[in-house]
Amino acid sequence: MARKRTLLLFLLPGVLLYGFLFLYPTAAGLFYSFTDWDGLSPSFRFVGLDNYATSLESLVFQKAVFNNVKFMLAVVIAQSALSLGLALLLARNSRSSTALRALYFFPAILSSVSVGLIWSFVYDPGIGMLNASLRAAGLESWTRNWIGSKDIAIYSIAFVQVWAHAGQMMIVFIAGLQSIPAELYESARIEGGNRLQIFRRITWPLLAPSATIVVAYTTIQSFKAFDLIFVMTDGGPNHATEILSTYIYHTAFASYRFGLASAGSMLFLAVLGLLTYAQFKALRADRASY
Amino acid sequence: MFNVRNALLAGTIALGAMLSACGSSGGDSSSGGKEVKISFLHWRGEDVEALNKIIEKFQQQNPGIKVDMQTLPSDQYQTAAAAKLTDGSAGDVFASFPGAQFEALSKAGQFADLTGADFLGRFNADLIQPGVKDGKQLAVPYQLVYNDPIYNVKLFDKYGLTPPKDWEGFLALCETLKQNGVIPIAFAGADIGPGQFMNTMVMNNEPSEDIFEKVEAGEAKLTDEWWVKTLSQIKELNDKGYFQPDALGTKDAAAGALFIQEKAAMLASGSYQLAQNAKQNPGLEQKLLAPITVAAGEAKYEGVHTSTFLLGVNSRSKHPDEARKFLDFLSGKEIASEYANATGQNVTVKDVEYSTPELKVATEWSTRKTLFQPRFTIKNADNQKAVTGSIQAVLGGSSPEEAASEAQAAVDQNLVK
Repeated sequence: MARKRTLLLFLLPGVLLYGFLFLYPTAAGLFYSFTDWDGLSPSFRFVGLDNYATSLESLVFQKAVFNNVKFMLAVVIAQSALSLGLALLLARNSRSSTALRALYFFPAILSSVSVGLIWSFVYDPGIGMLNASLRAAGLESWTRNWIGSKDIAIYSIAFVQVWAHAGQMMIVFIAGLQSIPAELYESARIEGGNRLQIFRRITWPLLAPSATIVVAYTTIQSFKAFDLIFVMTDGGPNHATEILSTYIYHTAFASYRFGLASAGSMLFLAVLGLLTYAQFKALRADRASY
Repeated sequence: MFNVRNALLAGTIALGAMLSACGSSGGDSSSGGKEVKISFLHWRGEDVEALNKIIEKFQQQNPGIKVDMQTLPSDQYQTAAAAKLTDGSAGDVFASFPGAQFEALSKAGQFADLTGADFLGRFNADLIQPGVKDGKQLAVPYQLVYNDPIYNVKLFDKYGLTPPKDWEGFLALCETLKQNGVIPIAFAGADIGPGQFMNTMVMNNEPSEDIFEKVEAGEAKLTDEWWVKTLSQIKELNDKGYFQPDALGTKDAAAGALFIQEKAAMLASGSYQLAQNAKQNPGLEQKLLAPITVAAGEAKYEGVHTSTFLLGVNSRSKHPDEARKFLDFLSGKEIASEYANATGQNVTVKDVEYSTPELKVATEWSTRKTLFQPRFTIKNADNQKAVTGSIQAVLGGSSPEEAASEAQAAVDQNLVK
């Protein structure tokens, strides 16, 4: 019994930190979501579910949810596919592969603010490198107002997100690929399996745990892609790149409606929780063992 | 025998100590209680050098007071300043933007009442009105800005152009510049452009000091003729190619560069940008020009002004007297002159002497009929965003009616709350 208590004690610092840094703020957020607190005043009123109703009715909130889904789909599909492709190409531990892995991983160590600033200049329609390069290559018709057009701005930022994090996810896939026993490939080849068959029957099913991590992490990351959007467009033009995290930020810190922002955060938490649960369920079904 | 309660207590104390160690160390650093340390919180990082010299003088005159200046980037000021002010960790004296931030801070009781303070008499009474709430002077706007586009005098002279008196004249001027290969207006559509340019564009379409207050009260609508006309005129400038291409994707720095490099003849910003432009291109000769959007005889206002950088004393300050003393010092004519000439910003203090050409350019406007910046009369930040968003919408291809209607729908949602 005493031993059990001692063991439980080892959990205490972690539990306290988790409680203080996560559970308490979440509970406080839930509490304030039922108030009209402005974030500054010492007093506030309880408003019941008004903030939830206001959020759900808000045109900007609806736009933010829609943009978030577009952004998430673009990032999850492109980043997972690209990082898997890179992992398949660079899984062998040759010298060139190691060098290229480091190169592709490099953007992940940059701060998102730096990445956002760099790409803001790259995308600038007047002085930006992208349009200038396209013009120099005779591709004038391909030039676009990359982050100024309401139709493509969200995808332009999604591209930057993929550029910055595909290398990071590639490492997860490489770890997964390297844990697949070589004998499985050998026996598949002896039995005459072609590359596609080997990928479909062996690689992909055994990569499911890695894919679960990549897809779940990328989904959460794309929902929380606050800094890139804040630096590059601040949710503009006219809310075309507003996502839930920027909506919450603007509501709390520009409009001083902390109660409403807290309700938005709770809805955000619920959406993320549901999505993550659904992904784990879906990808768990694909898992194989050996 | 192992005691769980004691262990819990020890763990909590240890955690508390760890978290305290991570916390910031704001507040009074004096140990003997003789020296009082006050914090001065603002967003003007570019003024730090000039203000450090002023603070040094203040400290020499007031040996018992030490001023600890903290600056935050202007775009983060809304966020971080509120937290610092409310927990009392900084900002015995602090700056606020007029409009939504001043409203929120004053509603929260963050400002100490300065009504009746002697130093208020040193300011231009009209220009410090934006710091008044419910009859109380809660803050003093220190800087004076004219939010009128800047123009390149030499380029205008080269093509024989003078500031036009009506809308037709403004369009003709833009056309002449365009025909001569000069971008008529550098417009930062991605960030500050809409919020700056809307002011002069709307000032004569609806020559009223409180039109946006009426919109927020539901007594006027953005779908009314005056705003739809404003949006139509901005769209017309864009559609005719009088802004640089893809203006909606252009940020402040890139638009500024077009003007500084003399590729653009006008810059849709304000007098606050004059000194910075001159620093980067000393050959520039600059003046201010407000587009007149109506017929010559119908124009009521010549331009737009803002008194900003509202300085106040934190109502939670432990040293309100020392904080007031610092405000008093800043409002002295000599100190205000020193600040203005070192930073290139006009001030609201009376009888200040300006020495640089850029400051004198703005001073010329002090005798003109100008309107307080309409954007800052919008008290709700969501509404402000809806208004500037409607400008971005027309630049992005929406019709003025559609854009106005979408913006009004957003304002309507805030009306009922």
